[in-house]
Amino acid sequence: MTAYSPQQTAAISLVSPMLPFRAEILSVQPEAPLVSTYWMRFLDPELRTSYQFKPGQFNMLSIPGMGEAAISISSDSNDHQRVGHTVRFVGNVTNAISRLKAGDVIGVRGPFGTSWPLEDHHGKDIFIAAGGIGLPPLRPILYQVMAQRNNFGRVVVIYGARTPDDLQFTREYKAWEEAGIELIITVDRGDEKWTGLVGVVPLMFYRLRMDPRKSVVYTCGPEIMIRFVIFEALARRITPDQIYVSMERNMRCGLGLCGHCQLGPYFVCKDGPVFTYEQLQPYFNVEDL
Amino acid sequence: MCDQTDDKTELIDALQTIPWFHELAPDHFNRLIELSCLQDLETGQELFREGDKEDCLFIVLEGRVAIEMRVPGRGKVRIYTAEPMDIVGWSSITPVVRQRTAGARAVLPSRVVCLNAQKLYNACEEDHDLGYVVFRRLANVVASRLLTTRLQLLDMFAHPAAKEG
Ligand SMILES: Cc1cc2nc3c(=O)[nH]c(=O)nc-3n(C[C@H](O)[C@H](O)[C@H](O)COP(=O)(O)OP(=O)(O)OC[C@H]3O[C@@H](n4cnc5c(N)ncnc54)[C@H](O)[C@@H]3O)c2cc1C
Ligand code: FES
Repeated sequence: MTAYSPQQTAAISLVSPMLPFRAEILSVQPEAPLVSTYWMRFLDPELRTSYQFKPGQFNMLSIPGMGEAAISISSDSNDHQRVGHTVRFVGNVTNAISRLKAGDVIGVRGPFGTSWPLEDHHGKDIFIAAGGIGLPPLRPILYQVMAQRNNFGRVVVIYGARTPDDLQFTREYKAWEEAGIELIITVDRGDEKWTGLVGVVPLMFYRLRMDPRKSVVYTCGPEIMIRFVIFEALARRITPDQIYVSMERNMRCGLGLCGHCQLGPYFVCKDGPVFTYEQLQPYFNVEDL
Repeated sequence: MCDQTDDKTELIDALQTIPWFHELAPDHFNRLIELSCLQDLETGQELFREGDKEDCLFIVLEGRVAIEMRVPGRGKVRIYTAEPMDIVGWSSITPVVRQRTAGARAVLPSRVVCLNAQKLYNACEEDHDLGYVVFRRLANVVASRLLTTRLQLLDMFAHPAAKEG
């Protein structure tokens, strides 16, 4: 079991930073086909209460013998009882996670990385554009917005998924709307029952009136979607320093040591995952970067 | 196609809410009034069906209209939704005479302007200044539809295993 110093607010051992802390799965909430949220709490009671993270940060989740995967924290940063991770089952580690159930134990290291700078954006209109598994890293923001709604201007969430069945957190949309968050939910293809929007996330910007002097854009999702969201934001005269992007790269150490997650001069684990487009601009369209 | 009514006041008011109609010279605007009418749709009501003759171009004023295609084994697939100010059925005023390649159905109570496609085409032929405004608008619509289609084709949310398989 990993050594823990009582003052610590992170599950990162000062002695052996690659060693995970153990957490118990409290419950598993299916969100969509091949996507579930895992609610967990640290076995160490002190860490459980002292652990802190900021919206946009991620943990490394591990299964012994399988390895680790970077997974964003999708829960409320003010909830000290439990931590949520929403996982899409795509490979070795995430498929092993898919077999876990309440009562099982998982390894957690973190939190790592930069966060959405919500506290710098009081008074601004916040436009959140998310696609697929890009919504979980943005959900902690929605909890914060709901807790301090008056600190922000308009808060608009554009969220897209492949089909209606793939939409995540659907049971929460009503509460978000009731809290004064504008929701634009769209799918790439609808069935006969779907009466909502059909279309891609970037094109939903055509429906918006944005004041570039007081708007910021936060985006996370497939990189191709992010690219076109940036185009649409720039077309509405939002400046590159007001566009925030969460990037994904393969991770190993999470500590800025191994170089696995390099993106231009940056390490996504340490300098990101949240960057401004101003930072990324020179590297964004470079192939295979 | 909808019936022509004598009272055009409602139609004129409606057309004045369409931003690009403000680019039209007054006589062009009047020309479009002559070949347009309003149509209200209830939820679920079809605007047109796959295979229908393309006789109208529509501009959605209120509500939401889904464009859908029948796919064997999958039923009707909704591939696009038109919202207020969107144009539906743009290919009806291209020179090639076609039949509708998709159906359109109101998924919310909706109101549309219906422009007689043949008359609109003729008006654009006769007066290229009008034609320029109309076709510039259509080029915009086609460009954004193409981008939508391209991004849909990329299937960017597909599960990695499905992409590989
Ligand atoms: C900062 C950060 C935050 C992240 N947050 C989350 C999160 O909240 N939830 C979540 O489910 N995932 C998240 N990811 C992605 C996750 O870390 C990767 O999907 C990881 O590779 C999964 O590990 P694995 O061992 O299960 O899959 P691997 O064995 O690494 O990959 C299996 C196969 O899937 C492909 N693949 C893996 N991930 C993706 C992907 N995202 N898109 C397309 N193809 C892929 C690989 O190329 C490979 O072919 C995040 C990544 C980063 C960097
Ligand atoms: S994961 Fe090792 S440097 Fe980022």
